[in-house]
Amino acid sequence: MANRTYEVMYIVDPETAADKIVELNETIGKLIEKEGGTIVRMDDIGMRTLAYPIKKRKDGYYVLYEVDGSGQEIMELERRMRVNDAIIRFVTVRVDEDRKKALKMQAKREKRTSQRLKFRKTEETAETAGELQEA
Amino acid sequence: MAENDFEVPRENMGGEEGFGDKAPRRFQRRRPRQVIPDYVDWRDVDYLRQFIPERGKIMPRRISGISAKDQRRIATAIKRARSMALLPFVWE
Repeated sequence: MANRTYEVMYIVDPETAADKIVELNETIGKLIEKEGGTIVRMDDIGMRTLAYPIKKRKDGYYVLYEVDGSGQEIMELERRMRVNDAIIRFVTVRVDEDRKKALKMQAKREKRTSQRLKFRKTEETAETAGELQEA
Repeated sequence: MAENDFEVPRENMGGEEGFGDKAPRRFQRRRPRQVIPDYVDWRDVDYLRQFIPERGKIMPRRISGISAKDQRRIATAIKRARSMALLPFVWE
């Protein structure tokens, strides 16, 4: 239950003052820590042109958090973000399962290639096979 | 009653004959098989762009030529990116 990894990304209204944005990011960081999550990574992506207008804004200030936690802090965080007018869009993606799957697939592939090498007679493997037979 | 039941499929069959006249649908040729990374990052816009033709739609599998599993992963990644305005829903 406990260890889940989330990516939380949100877009801040570009018309809010720069110091307000910094303040907002700090409060969100504090909130995550307070609710029992740990911040793995905080990425201040910055100003970016939106692919389509949101609330008549053409740009947005993107911020990304990577959070380790139980999911409880995400609930609180999303509730707060929904209320906050400066945040025009946010999304939370659970990434740990997909990453685990990716690692599994990678391991599987490595195993397969190593197995294939055993049967294929390249110079290296032929040598080692010969050594084994001698021993 | 029994006769009526029998007639219904017959009529449908008559309608089916029309399909024979249509020319077989031609698909664009599949792209060569490509390697999809194990973890598809939904924030990697430049990577996802290659599965989006000009109109902004997700490239269908018959054209992208990737496996069904990979296509699903790519599609969800594109949808996530869209919701955060990283990718457009439609390109004019």
